[in-house]
Amino acid sequence: MVYLDAVVTSRFEGRRFEVPSRVYARPLELYEGASVGAGALQQELSLSGFRKGDGVAPGSYRRSGSRFVISTRGFRFPDGEEPRRRVALTIRDDQVDDFRIVSGESSPIVRLEPAQIGGIYPSHREDRILVQLQNVPKLLPATLMAVEDRNFYHHFGIAPLSIARAMLANLRAGEIVQGGSTLTQQLVKNLFLTRDQTLLRKANEALMSILLEWHYDKDDILETYLNEVYLGQAGTRSINGFGLASQFYFGESLKNLKPHQIALLVGMVKGPSYYNPRRNPDRALKRRNLVLSEMEKTGLLSSQEAAHARGLPLGVSEKPSYSENRYPAYIDLVRRHLARDYREEDLSSAGLRIFTTLNPAIQAAAEESVRDTLPRLGHGEVRDKLESALVVTAKDTGEVLALVGGKKPEFAGFNRALDARRPIGSLIKPFIYLSALSQPDRYTLISPVKDASFVLEFDDGRRWEPKDYDSKERGEVPLHQALAHSYNLPAVRVGLDVGVDVVAQTLQDFGVTSSISRYPAMLLGSVSMTPVTVAQMYQGLATSGFNTPLRTIREVTDAHGKALSRYPLEVDQVADPAAVHLVQYAMQEVMQEGTGQSAYYTVPKSLSLAGKTGTTDDGRDSWFAGFSGDYLAVAWVGRDDNGPTSLTGASGALPVWSRFMAKVPQHGFAPVVPDGVGYHWVNDQRQALTDEYCENARYVPFITGSEPDREVSCSGALQKRIQGWFKGLFE
Amino acid sequence: MTFSVLGRTSVLSAVLVFAGCASGPGSIYVPVGEQPTQAPEPPKANTDDAPDSRVWRKSEQPDEPAQPETERDSSSPSYSASGDTLSPAALSLVRQADNLLASGDTRGAIARLERAQRIAPRSAEVYFKLSQAYVAADQLGSAEQFTLKGLSLAGDNARLQRAGWLLLADIRRARGNVAGADQAEARAAAL
Repeated sequence: MVYLDAVVTSRFEGRRFEVPSRVYARPLELYEGASVGAGALQQELSLSGFRKGDGVAPGSYRRSGSRFVISTRGFRFPDGEEPRRRVALTIRDDQVDDFRIVSGESSPIVRLEPAQIGGIYPSHREDRILVQLQNVPKLLPATLMAVEDRNFYHHFGIAPLSIARAMLANLRAGEIVQGGSTLTQQLVKNLFLTRDQTLLRKANEALMSILLEWHYDKDDILETYLNEVYLGQAGTRSINGFGLASQFYFGESLKNLKPHQIALLVGMVKGPSYYNPRRNPDRALKRRNLVLSEMEKTGLLSSQEAAHARGLPLGVSEKPSYSENRYPAYIDLVRRHLARDYREEDLSSAGLRIFTTLNPAIQAAAEESVRDTLPRLGHGEVRDKLESALVVTAKDTGEVLALVGGKKPEFAGFNRALDARRPIGSLIKPFIYLSALSQPDRYTLISPVKDASFVLEFDDGRRWEPKDYDSKERGEVPLHQALAHSYNLPAVRVGLDVGVDVVAQTLQDFGVTSSISRYPAMLLGSVSMTPVTVAQMYQGLATSGFNTPLRTIREVTDAHGKALSRYPLEVDQVADPAAVHLVQYAMQEVMQEGTGQSAYYTVPKSLSLAGKTGTTDDGRDSWFAGFSGDYLAVAWVGRDDNGPTSLTGASGALPVWSRFMAKVPQHGFAPVVPDGVGYHWVNDQRQALTDEYCENARYVPFITGSEPDREVSCSGALQKRIQGWFKGLFE
Repeated sequence: MTFSVLGRTSVLSAVLVFAGCASGPGSIYVPVGEQPTQAPEPPKANTDDAPDSRVWRKSEQPDEPAQPETERDSSSPSYSASGDTLSPAALSLVRQADNLLASGDTRGAIARLERAQRIAPRSAEVYFKLSQAYVAADQLGSAEQFTLKGLSLAGDNARLQRAGWLLLADIRRARGNVAGADQAEARAAAL
């Protein structure tokens, strides 16, 4: 008895507030000019739980062609309430046009409620939305008592008369067929006991019910019941309590439910799976109408109201498309970030709301790109062994928008985006040249660099003889061309000239925290990194020298919306924007004339891009890292067993990357020319200024003062010049 | 020290808010879905001109917003002469942030400005505004960095350049970096 008493008090106190945390995608912002396709908008609406309908009822939308009318439900964001509104807009060329607020507070920008993309559950996998008795519509507890326990407010935990009645029935049948349990007993059964029906258990249940009533008042018990009762199943997650059940079955919050919906939920208490309105609608309807009749009998509804309610359809929403494991790789990264600031037990029980940076449309495009491209790479056995990872961030905010951890993105497992540490190969080259171009008195984009083999002899007698990928030697090439074509020998020569330590320091400035080997081989990318680290490092190149820490979480609030932590945007200048601008020039050249050219088989030529390929020995790793005006993406393709493939960066990772870039509407890359940079027409073979219309003339950026002072004019200048004028007209 | 920074940033804020009424950024690339891509266009002659240096007078507002010069040549790398101007949506968030700042809610202001930054990430104004909010929050290190970021997007817009360098000078002085402040002031004066 003392033991039971302890169990009752400790478990009741302890378990009443265990609520999983909810993880949200970034909310979609709608405004004139926002980039979103009609298909993506519809997908977004469905993910956020909008129903196709009249566009008048909150939570519904109407679409005719490219015209949308959306009626938002309103949402409490960490920075304030987004009120309910009706919004009309047209999607034209993947942009929002004709944006209007039809009703509600006027505003040039509106946030949709964010899609829930996951939850962090306690080990028993119960999910619930806590409700407080005072906020529950009165009809719900009244109906519950009318159906399950009419004497709830008067008994002391058990109702002997009902038990006697049930016992009699059970004895007659020779087995347990009737419950006759009070709400208190049902709660005790859910909270403390196993499901097998023995007489000893029955006795314990009765005792514990009396003890519970002894310690707590009726409203406490009722509120706990409303939050505890089991009302359905979604995969391995159980739907507990009326708060969540209301969302799960009707897509509505409890306070908005109509009598026929309350009747259905109360009716389901008897057997949530047997009366599941989605699977067994006929049974559910019968049961609901029975409950409605009880409500009429006890005076909760007038006979007119009851008759009207009985005539209504079930009104159940489509099964929520949300599944808790839709984005396992991304949620993995979110959990790792959370683990730095929160304890696991708080995450799984304190009902936190976690606002992430996931962009569902970008994530979908990223998953499709990996899924569609991998089967076309390599051949035979190697093809089956190929794996991949893709990281996408917003170029200027550092927000991680999408993460793919393997070729089957829907399965949790080895998360290659975070855990596959691989040599980065030529992805290191932009950092070598950045280190060099930061010394404008020594290096410019047109500095001649030697593409000729050499041997490096170490003190211990070992020799190192770097080779070019194609084993060719080209004599002297201009620096920009050496980067665009990813020649090895010039990169190593330049790297040795500026110093391995300086290059390693540049990598660290750009956010690499792991130790970097100072052997010359690091200049060919022997240093290993995960795709996410590469994304971090390239962020600084994409943003003109500003290191922007990657983020997956914007904000965490408690269950009531009070902010707990904010993860703000940070920028930190780590390189001279002028030098980075020169590197960005050469990285654009990679795409137009160099190793990244084949991207334009997939991507329209009008989208300007910048990037770099990376390949390691025997094609063990195929990398591509690059960016547009809006997005930065890093793709990796290789084998988990680190075996060889026949792929290069251009034939493995680049097709994944360019397929992704072709799928999303975005702006091209056109960096603002920073202070202290001037463009000049030059002949890069002769390292001299030249005339715009001379052959071999390139328009190249220089850090002011480092441009050549020599000028060459082309032979037959006048004729060439005239040809030049006509070139634009007739081609 | 901080007081003087706030003094000048509020002048700055007046400059910035009037600046932004303009259309959004340039053309957006539209993917062609699953259709086979068209053959790339033949290369055009190079038409990139060195960006004209514009002359701004204090009392003058441009009739036409500075359009980013993203005219793309298929055979040479792109660049633009200046960052994007603020769209009405971003501008409304900046105004909300101003009100929050005025009422002392720097945290709220920063949240609004980050929203504005997400939809207008290449506008120098947004970063100058963030800098102003971080000055109010007395986080001068962050304020300096956001000013630098804004300056990196000011391009050939002398008005924005000037506002940015003066802001930077004040922040550096407040941080005790007198040499850096003088340097920034000299940059502003040279414009």
